[in-house]
Amino acid sequence: MVRRFWILVLAAVVLESIACVQYIYSYYAIKHEACERAKCELRAAELEIDLVMCEQEHALQMAVALIERYIDEPDSLAAMSRIMLQSMPNTSNLGLAFVSGYYNKKQHWFEIYTHRDTVDGKPTIITREIGGPNHDYFKDEWYQNAFLHDSCWWSEPYYDNSGARSMVVTCSHPIRNKKGEIVGTAGIDVSLAYLASMDNLQVFQDSYYSIQSSNGLDIVALPDTTGGRKYLVFNEEIDATGWHIAIVIPEDVLFADLRKTGLVVLILMLIGLGLVAFILYRSAKNVQSIVSMTAKEERMLGELEIAREIQNAMLPKVFPPFLDHTDLNIFGFVRPAKEIGGDLYDFYIRHDKLFFCVGDVSGKGIPASLIMSMTRSLFRSVTAHEERAEQIVSLMNDALSEENELNMFITLFLGVLDTKTGVLEYCNAGHNAPMLMAGGQWQRAEVIPNIPIGIDKGYPFKAQSMTLHPNEELFIYTDGLTEAENINHEQFGEERMLSSLQAMKYSTPRKLVEAMQKSVDTFVAEAPQSDDLTMLAIRYQLPAIVMRNDIQQIPTLAEWIDSLNIPMELNMPVNLALEEAVSNVMLYAYPDGHGFVFVEFAQTPASIIFTITDSGIPFDPTQKPEADISLSAEQREIGGLGIHLVRKLMDEIRYERIDNKNILTLVKHV
Amino acid sequence: MTTTINSNGNQLIASFIGRLDTAAAISTAEAVKPLMEAQEKEIILDCSQLEYISSSGLRIFLSIRKEAAQHNSKVIVKDINADIRQVFMMTGFLSLFDIQ
Repeated sequence: MVRRFWILVLAAVVLESIACVQYIYSYYAIKHEACERAKCELRAAELEIDLVMCEQEHALQMAVALIERYIDEPDSLAAMSRIMLQSMPNTSNLGLAFVSGYYNKKQHWFEIYTHRDTVDGKPTIITREIGGPNHDYFKDEWYQNAFLHDSCWWSEPYYDNSGARSMVVTCSHPIRNKKGEIVGTAGIDVSLAYLASMDNLQVFQDSYYSIQSSNGLDIVALPDTTGGRKYLVFNEEIDATGWHIAIVIPEDVLFADLRKTGLVVLILMLIGLGLVAFILYRSAKNVQSIVSMTAKEERMLGELEIAREIQNAMLPKVFPPFLDHTDLNIFGFVRPAKEIGGDLYDFYIRHDKLFFCVGDVSGKGIPASLIMSMTRSLFRSVTAHEERAEQIVSLMNDALSEENELNMFITLFLGVLDTKTGVLEYCNAGHNAPMLMAGGQWQRAEVIPNIPIGIDKGYPFKAQSMTLHPNEELFIYTDGLTEAENINHEQFGEERMLSSLQAMKYSTPRKLVEAMQKSVDTFVAEAPQSDDLTMLAIRYQLPAIVMRNDIQQIPTLAEWIDSLNIPMELNMPVNLALEEAVSNVMLYAYPDGHGFVFVEFAQTPASIIFTITDSGIPFDPTQKPEADISLSAEQREIGGLGIHLVRKLMDEIRYERIDNKNILTLVKHV
Repeated sequence: MTTTINSNGNQLIASFIGRLDTAAAISTAEAVKPLMEAQEKEIILDCSQLEYISSSGLRIFLSIRKEAAQHNSKVIVKDINADIRQVFMMTGFLSLFDIQ
């Protein structure tokens, strides 16, 4: 909660900072822009005013030049004034004032004043003589300054309340006679009314400008409404006239847009903050639900892990599984695609019969795993009192079909191997046909497909049988093997499986399964495991016995030989030869007394073969000298009879030393 | 494997019952010690119930035979089965013992 608050504060600070920076930047940008624009307009205005002044000056100078040409004809001056004013459209009037008594015929004062007027609605030009005691122009500034400056002179602006009724400036110029003496002044009034409507100086709507004469008279005054506000003021002095132009921009006007934008930004920011707060609130809720989901998932995962262990514990996983059944070599492997799976294998021995099965429940995960457990339990309970494969599968099928509302089914391969005879009775319920290694060749075992169990109660399953000979091997698997896919969605397939099997044809089930696992893993590589994978290899192999290095183990050797069902007449010779060979090992191979002796039995149609292996010191009994049995009792040695007997009893004796092991092979022809 | 020794006048009768294999040889060797010291006796090795004999058993028989020769005793092997007879034959024991 507190964290969320701080995130909100942080977001607000960040947004506010951005807005402030933007505001300040915009403020200065606008101010700068306004400043530039004002300066620009001021220069333009200055130019415009200068142009007007120049134009008037020129017009006046032209007029003066004309007047000077006709200076000696005072009566023509009035008419000329009219013509001149007519040709000076921007000039409102023209005054010509002469020095006292310049024209003798005229009086003391002589001024011709021509101005524009409107008579009966029509613009006309009126010319009058206005000099006189009432209009003593000699005192007028405009008149005097022409003499003083001897050039064009501009008056300060003033309000003309007689003629133009507006702010005017007067421009005066001396008039010379033919001798070059100044004899009068020509003056024109220039209305400054146009200055009040210089639109360009109105740089903004609601901005103002003022023009003041050099002595501070308002030519264009600021309106009264300007009080109590803040302004930006830009000044420019017009060189020609010395006037001051000021552009006055009220800040509220200049920054109106900025303030409006600022307000919009502020509103947007508040909306944004509200949104952030909302998202935070929602995400916090989500995080809470995620956290609780995770806890739930963890518990689930924990339970799945337990389930996995339980499921794992169901499968036989101690290999080799039967220490008293050296004629069976079994290795099983299961790897679920998920934590738990629907594949199973199981086996156990009851009354010298090996019951085994490999199954694949349709589907994966928890539902499949539950059915898998059920199937495995059924396998155990049914086989506890039933030995016929057909019956076992039928009973399992009936039990599973009974309450199978989920319509889950199981493909199953079930076998019952009589370890004494090698007869294998098996029933295939819709499962992949197992592979059989017989005669050095892996091939698919012949199976009646039947249907998977759990579908049709009362289905008549048919079993088959075959005989497993020593060193023949059965490889049972689920489709997780052949249908394992690599990233290109290619399947491992039966061919790869077969070649892998073929490459390992004489190895033990463990090595076979591990090689197959490696092979499929290499093939699949990075692709995820898509289905549960199960393999079970059963090798019906040569009988063998392992004895501790103890003479007292000899009777168990005799029992084992009896169990081999070798021909009766060979029983004693074999028994004796083996005892002699084994006791020889026990007496000599292990000086410190500890060790094992391993005896394997093999049978061919022509002979029976025993291989005695120990890892003791190198000891080759075949190198012992032949005992002389022709000697008398007195001459005979007590020992040396054992190896003599072995030689006599057996048809072949071979000794090899391989991998630090003594291997003695005894062969008896049948 | 059990070994019993009975005395009957000048005769010492040792009865071997069961299999005289390497494992049984140790106890049997102990059991037949009285025969080794017998002076001028007729030692009868009753093999009617001996099922099997290995070289260690043969060594015991040979020891008895050698000791008897030194102590002026005579050893008679009685009622050996066909298997044991074969072993005796292979080892030249048939010519070493008086077999009845």
